[in-house]
This record gives sequence, C-alpha cells and structure tokens, in this order.
Amino acid sequence: MFIVLGKADVLLFDRLRILIVDGSAPILEAVSQPIATAASGVHNIGAMFDVYGENQRLRDENARLLEWQEVARGLAAENTRLRGLVKLAPEGARSDVSAQVIADSGGAFARNVLVSAGRRDGVARGQAAVTGEGLVGRVAEVGDRASRILLLTDLNSRIPVVLESSRERAVMAGDNSVQPRLLYLPATAVVKAGERIVTGGAGGVFPPGLPVGVVASVDGPNVRVEPYAELPRLDYVRIIDFGLEGLLPPNAVPVAKPARGPKVVGDPDPGR
Amino acid sequence: MSAFMRFDGFQRDQSLPTRLVPFTTTFLFTLISVVPLHIPGFAVVTPSFALMAIYHWTIYRSDLLPPVAVFGTGMLLDLLNGAPYVGTSSLLLLLLRQLLLSQRRFFVNRPFAYLWAGFLLVTTAMTVLEWALVSLLHGSVLDAEAPIFGAALTAASFPVGSYLLGRTQRGLLMRG
Repeated sequence: MFIVLGKADVLLFDRLRILIVDGSAPILEAVSQPIATAASGVHNIGAMFDVYGENQRLRDENARLLEWQEVARGLAAENTRLRGLVKLAPEGARSDVSAQVIADSGGAFARNVLVSAGRRDGVARGQAAVTGEGLVGRVAEVGDRASRILLLTDLNSRIPVVLESSRERAVMAGDNSVQPRLLYLPATAVVKAGERIVTGGAGGVFPPGLPVGVVASVDGPNVRVEPYAELPRLDYVRIIDFGLEGLLPPNAVPVAKPARGPKVVGDPDPGR
Repeated sequence: MSAFMRFDGFQRDQSLPTRLVPFTTTFLFTLISVVPLHIPGFAVVTPSFALMAIYHWTIYRSDLLPPVAVFGTGMLLDLLNGAPYVGTSSLLLLLLRQLLLSQRRFFVNRPFAYLWAGFLLVTTAMTVLEWALVSLLHGSVLDAEAPIFGAALTAASFPVGSYLLGRTQRGLLMRG
C-alpha cells in the first residue's frame, strides 16, 4: 500500500526523502571522513612504489597537453571571432560548488550518491554534477546541507545527448547497468563504437557540449554508452549552475491542475 | 547462542536503553550500508546489514523489535538509498518477520550452520522478490547481476554481522 502511496503522493515522499537526506548528512559526513582518509592513505602508500613510472607518464602527458593547449587557444580565439561575426548570444554565466560524496547509497536497484552541499551552498534541483572527466548525473533532491545526485546509470536517469560527430540526437537512459542505453536514435543514424557523446541542449536540462562518454557497443538498435566519469569511485563532484530553468522548475511537483473555466480576457484599453 | 531464549523472564527488569539495543543496532546496521568505502563498484553490491539485524533480532528477541520498528527500518533503508519505489523494503522485511516468527523453532538452539543456511535462503528469497517487485513496478525486466552479487556478499558476510549482534546481545541484554 505504501508503495502505491509513494507513486500517488509524490510531494509527501519528496519531503520525507529530503528530511532523511538532511538528517543523516551530519552522521554520514562524520563517518565518511575517516574512511576517506584511510582509503587515500592506502592509495598513497601504493602510489609511492610507482613514483618513477608515474613521473614519466606525467611528463609525456604534459608534453601532449601543451600541444593541445596551443590548439585550444587557437580554437578559442577563432571561436570568439566567429561568434562576433554571427552575433551569437554570449554563453550564460556559470557558478559551481564542489561537494564531497558522503554516501554512495543506491543498493541494488538505484544508482545515486549523497553529497555534502545543499540549498545553503546554492545547489538546486536539476543542476548538472560533473567530475574532471565528464558528466556524472543531475541533482535530484536538495536538502539544506546535503543533496542527492541521480547518476547517469540510474533506472530513472534520462539525459538528452548528441553524438558529437554525426550530430544525431538521442536520449541516454540508465537501466542500472554500468553502460546506459541510447534511446530514440533516428532509424537512419549510423553509430560507430568509439564516437563521443556530449550533452544536447534539448529541453534546457543541461547546457550543450558537456562530455558524457563514448559509444561502447552497437548491437542493432541497442547502443550502449561508456561514461567518461568513473561513477563507481566518486570522491568529489562539482555541481554546476548554468542558470537554466530545466524541464521542471526547482521543486516543481507534478500536481493535477484544477480545471479552468472559460477565461475572460481583460480589456486592453481601460479608458473605454 | 543456545541459551538466548531462556532469558525472557528478565525482560521486565531491563532498563529502557537496554531494551532499545535491538532497535539501535538495526538502525546502525542500516546506516553502515550507505557509508562510502571507496571500493570501486562496492556501492551497488553492499551487503544488506539491515537484513542481518532484522533476521537476528526476529529470531532471538522479536519482542524488542516490533513490526513498527521493522517497517521503519525498511522506510529508512529506502529513503536513505534513494530507492525508486519507497516501501518495497518495508513490505519485504515485514514479510520476512512474519515468516521467521512462524519458523523460529528451526533456528533457536541450533548450531550456527543452521542459522547461516537459513539466512542464505532468506537472502535469496528476498533478492528474488525485490527484483521481481521493482521490475514489475518499473515495467521492465531489470538487470539482475548487481542484486545477485549483492545477495552473495550479504550471505558471505553474515558471520561477521551475526557475531557482532550476538556479542552485543550477550553483553547488554543478558545482563538483565
């Protein structure tokens, strides 16, 4: 019965969830800190044995990245020039908040994490959560000091995406497996494994162009995406506010609207 | 463990904090399962410690873990986990409690192997039921890999949970 109630009274359950998120945040923060320290300690000891190889790898990577930096600078300058030419509106201002993952809850049937930033830090529902690698998910519930992020792989995650080179639009849908599926791809679309997936601007959910992942496998209509972000091992995430309204305005709850009667259109000319 | 049930007569003498031990340990066990251990991929297969606690206390001291506490644990578990359908855990845990109460005589005063075997059955049944229920509610057949691994880990870590609960029970509840 409660399950049915949960489907019917969304508002009540949303409040309950937020209450639990907020209530458990201080306990979870206190417990997760020493564990995180221990985990990073173990990692550091392991890393010490690999300093030489790591150093070499970083030098190589640095050389490669410097080349890329040159390319990026050139492109940025060109981009500014071209934007000026076509009079494109400037991109919206963005602000971001870093948050520690305090609970990687989810159990067997949900994929989400709790993070230590909430309304008082400026987090709002629908904002994008990213790591250095790419998109992680979106903010699903916001408490005062903690919030829940629905990961890309969750059953209920739907993200509008674009295949970067072919510009085909699709919706990336999680199904609790490690690789989300692409839905609603046009039948004519030719998808190849290895193609980059970025967010699409459709619906104003996310800003276009955030890196999401690569096409991992194509099996007829069943196209799977490997996310860039390492979802199973998140420590910190950045929550970005792009100032987008999104499909649902913050804290909007689908409530049946009362039937409207015939509306009398006001007279535009009061002088009559 | 064989002597647990002989202490019913002492219940009235126990102070309230002591009588809350089953509830408190169940609550703690529920919280443990969401703490990030920074082991990649562990979150989705975390053993269900709450299940162990409810299994243990229903067999040994069901009087101190009433249905409402079991229900509350299920709700907390679902809300904390951000489960897609809140209430599934409550429903399943209450079913488990009912089943265990009717079968309690098979577990009390038996060697640990019986308890463990019973828990293995319970975990399997709970996982299958939960998977079926969530699949039904969601309207599609869900990936069963993570639940299967989760159930295996839960069953495998039962001795640890059972030991901790047994020690707590002997240390606090038996003193009377």
